[in-house]
Amino acid sequence: MQVEEFLRSVTALPGLTGQEGQVAEYIAAAFRPYADEVKIDRCNNVIAHVKGDGPRLQFCAHLDEIGLMVSKIEEDGCLRLRNVGGVDPRIMPGMQVQVYGKRQLTGVIGAKAPHLLSQEEREQNYKREDLYVDLGMPAPQVRELVQVGDLVALEARYVNLQNGRIATKTADDRACVAILYRAMQLLRGMKHKADLYFVATCQEEIGSYGAAMTAFSIQPDYGIALDVCHAHTPGAPSWRTHELDALVASTGPFVHSMVRRKLMETAKQNNIQVQTAVVPRSTFTDADSMNIQRGGIPTALLELPLKYMHTAVEVLDMHTLEEGARLLAHFACAAELAWEDELWT
Amino acid sequence: MDLKTLTELNGISGDEGRVRRALMEAARPHCDEVSIDRSGNLICKKKGADPSLPEVLFAAHMDEVGFIIAGYTDDGLLRIRSVGGIDPRVIVSKWVLVGPDRLPGVIGAMAIHLQTMADRKKVLDYDGLYIDIGAKDKAEAEKLAPLGTYAAFDTAYTPFGEGMVIAKALDDRVGCYNLLRLLQGNYPCDITCCFVTQEEVGLRGSIGAAYGSQVEVALVFEGTAANDLGDVPESQRVCQVGYGVAVSFMDGASVGNRELFKLLPALAESAGIPCQIKQGVTGGNDAGSFQYGGDTGAGTARTMVLSVPCRYIHSGASVAALSDIDAQLHLAQEYLNNL
Amino acid sequence: MLRDTLKTLLNAWGPSGNEHNVAEEIKALLGGHVDAIRTDAMGNLIVEKYGQDDNAKRIMISAHMDHIGMVVTAIEKEGFLRVAPVGGLSLKASEYRHVVFENGVEGVLLSQPVQNGEPKVKDLFIDIGAADREEALSMVQVGDFAVYAPHVFPLGKHRIAAPAMYDRCACALLVELLLYAEDQKNTIVGVFSTQEELGLRGARVAAFAEEPDIGLALDVTGWGDTPENKLPDLKLGAGPAVKIMDAYMVASPMVRDALFEAADLADVAVQREVLPYGGTDGAAIQHSRGGVPTGTLSIPCRYVHSACETIDMRDMEGALKILLQFVNLI
Repeated sequence: MQVEEFLRSVTALPGLTGQEGQVAEYIAAAFRPYADEVKIDRCNNVIAHVKGDGPRLQFCAHLDEIGLMVSKIEEDGCLRLRNVGGVDPRIMPGMQVQVYGKRQLTGVIGAKAPHLLSQEEREQNYKREDLYVDLGMPAPQVRELVQVGDLVALEARYVNLQNGRIATKTADDRACVAILYRAMQLLRGMKHKADLYFVATCQEEIGSYGAAMTAFSIQPDYGIALDVCHAHTPGAPSWRTHELDALVASTGPFVHSMVRRKLMETAKQNNIQVQTAVVPRSTFTDADSMNIQRGGIPTALLELPLKYMHTAVEVLDMHTLEEGARLLAHFACAAELAWEDELWT
Repeated sequence: MDLKTLTELNGISGDEGRVRRALMEAARPHCDEVSIDRSGNLICKKKGADPSLPEVLFAAHMDEVGFIIAGYTDDGLLRIRSVGGIDPRVIVSKWVLVGPDRLPGVIGAMAIHLQTMADRKKVLDYDGLYIDIGAKDKAEAEKLAPLGTYAAFDTAYTPFGEGMVIAKALDDRVGCYNLLRLLQGNYPCDITCCFVTQEEVGLRGSIGAAYGSQVEVALVFEGTAANDLGDVPESQRVCQVGYGVAVSFMDGASVGNRELFKLLPALAESAGIPCQIKQGVTGGNDAGSFQYGGDTGAGTARTMVLSVPCRYIHSGASVAALSDIDAQLHLAQEYLNNL
Repeated sequence: MLRDTLKTLLNAWGPSGNEHNVAEEIKALLGGHVDAIRTDAMGNLIVEKYGQDDNAKRIMISAHMDHIGMVVTAIEKEGFLRVAPVGGLSLKASEYRHVVFENGVEGVLLSQPVQNGEPKVKDLFIDIGAADREEALSMVQVGDFAVYAPHVFPLGKHRIAAPAMYDRCACALLVELLLYAEDQKNTIVGVFSTQEELGLRGARVAAFAEEPDIGLALDVTGWGDTPENKLPDLKLGAGPAVKIMDAYMVASPMVRDALFEAADLADVAVQREVLPYGGTDGAAIQHSRGGVPTGTLSIPCRYVHSACETIDMRDMEGALKILLQFVNLI
């Protein structure tokens, strides 16, 4: 399968944090032709093993996504929502949704009409508690089909923009899962000594738990976490955002300096452009929790810039995605046991 | 190795290499085993006379708060972020050393003559503060101090007053200094001294040390904030410089073990070691890692924190009393000799 | 009996970090009825009742012994005690409360007037009736902990209110489960945990050390059935709640569904809990080591973190029936 086809399919699947079963199955099946062994663990982490006898490396990108859940069914049958992960409530009014009740139901997110709002109310954004899902059916029927705790997914579309740019939901972080997928494809034609684990992790959006679990169970020598970062958009501070068309590698106390140095050297040798981001504290990615497992797993962070993160129209650059896969594959081939000697120089 | 040398080394969280190398060299002659674990912690072990006694672990952190270069202005100034908590109000018009080659720089601000009334009231934050290393333009600045370069306060160790000292990084080089001195003695039980990384950015290095050590008792040597001068109500002073080592019942990261909390002040009193109870519950330190392993759960130890009170902690000029530094060491030795 | 066990545990003194009295009561209740019992460095009381099945799973069931309180940070010249909160102490629920120290010293909790704006938790102080610092020091020391004084009372026929209801009601459930479970399929690793209110610390350590196959937290949850209090959508007396998610955890679907099935088998009505805030020991167990499938069974509780935390005993009885099924089912 072409990586673009993988991206299109994998971003369309629901995989709300904590309930990633369906997307995990899809990813495991897609990874299978390229790995010696693929398994899904007890908490929906997908672990693909590509065997080698060099240092053990873990590459991970998270497969879960932010979304919404039914928190209450009102008298009139409209559904109140709570968020799972950081959904921006500004994107919700007027959005179509799929409610995963006893069967899949289409709904629309409604709110009080603007001409009924006071001047003061109109000057503020809608808050989540003002919004509801309208299923367009009578209340008794709603109650029969929907329960508190049912999942609600935002409308998913996949749009090809100009210049190889793509707008889709859940590019955070399925686009990085696609990097893992593409890197595994590339590695079939390359020689590597390293023992490789490609991991699609669960529960990143509420605290990077899947990465902690898998780093603990796999116990790699080194790790690379892949996640998305912010590309330039109007109004955002230019020195904290990055060009859309090149990868980013963060630096700071939460990123292991030796692993990062090796990553940057690999990029340079293979003519892959990588921008630097400076993160003085927590990176809020899987790298943070991998670094502190099992007495410490030296881990670096590789990022794919994205516009409009945590909306339904996240925009990425397909060329950058391909470069990410190329860098990861070359990094896997470069890894040597001798890196150990450079750990604390 | 003396406290002057230790405080004048630069080791911002994530860049502790120079401090680690110096400590390793100084500790090695006094230890049975020295190693670096995969979190970058320096682990020094020393055998005791009585192998039936449980091992006691001591920890102090090597890292200090400082700055990281995060961008540039077109005219060659370095944009910065703090690594660890540094109040931006204390850094205007201060001297820093940038990068491994210790390039001198200053943190400037617009002259008071040019400020509007509104400017004077506004706190300058990190978006409005820069390090000036004298670079002519962005390209030169980038070459001299690439993104991610660390910068530290440039402060000479200065004794002053009656038995007091001014230095940077007293939090927690005082602890490192005392661990080195502790290793020079002989004790009934085995001891492990952990010089840990990354305390100032969330107690991260010690999580690895806790996983690797799995001990029953851990004592943490810290420097803690003393708020004991000026117009501060007595109840908010936390601890007082010159009144001895501070023992903690609780802080943001751990509740001190109740037996140790009763035992240590009693030991201090009978041995004539100045000791005080730390009043506040603010802050948090590596004891949390040894007790419950931070987020990982890999903790096993009953813990207690022994702190040296420091004024103006997390600034370029912190102040401590030499007698308090000695008290921290002496109380730990008293504990070991009374096991 | 559940009600008696609950009352015994509600009267035990035990703020976070100082749970030993509660642990002693539990040990006395369980003595002779379990297969193993131990205490770790965090003060967690860990109790095992072995399963009969050859492939018995180790199910860690956690209920925390601690509750919120305060700790003395300074003693004023005039004999008043300055305090810091231990856990999520609210000012509103604390003003004018009767409090008690471990050694029996009693006091009242008040807030000082502030010049600008409203008092905050940091403005609380305790009056123990001491005339000056010297007298106060003869009664308490800096570093001593206090709690809302125990006071257990019925509300109507089915309901009970008390300061430490959160989470002693869960401790009572776990004690009763360990007493009543007989020849159950799976091994129950009952963890009476510590320092939950300070960030699930005890359960984290216990989960790491015990390496369970399955996790279950017993805890209270919020309520949505009093004036203008609408979320979570839960009512007292309508049955215990199976957690779908809270701010720290999405319950593992496998454990969640086993709880629903156990409720069906026990013929107990349950509610579905989507909590917009909070977290339980369940999160600490689920995220431990390589990950542990974990759920939470909750008792709806009104006025959480006050001196009148109120539950309905019918929800407790239902929960016990579900638990007795659950340990055989999964």
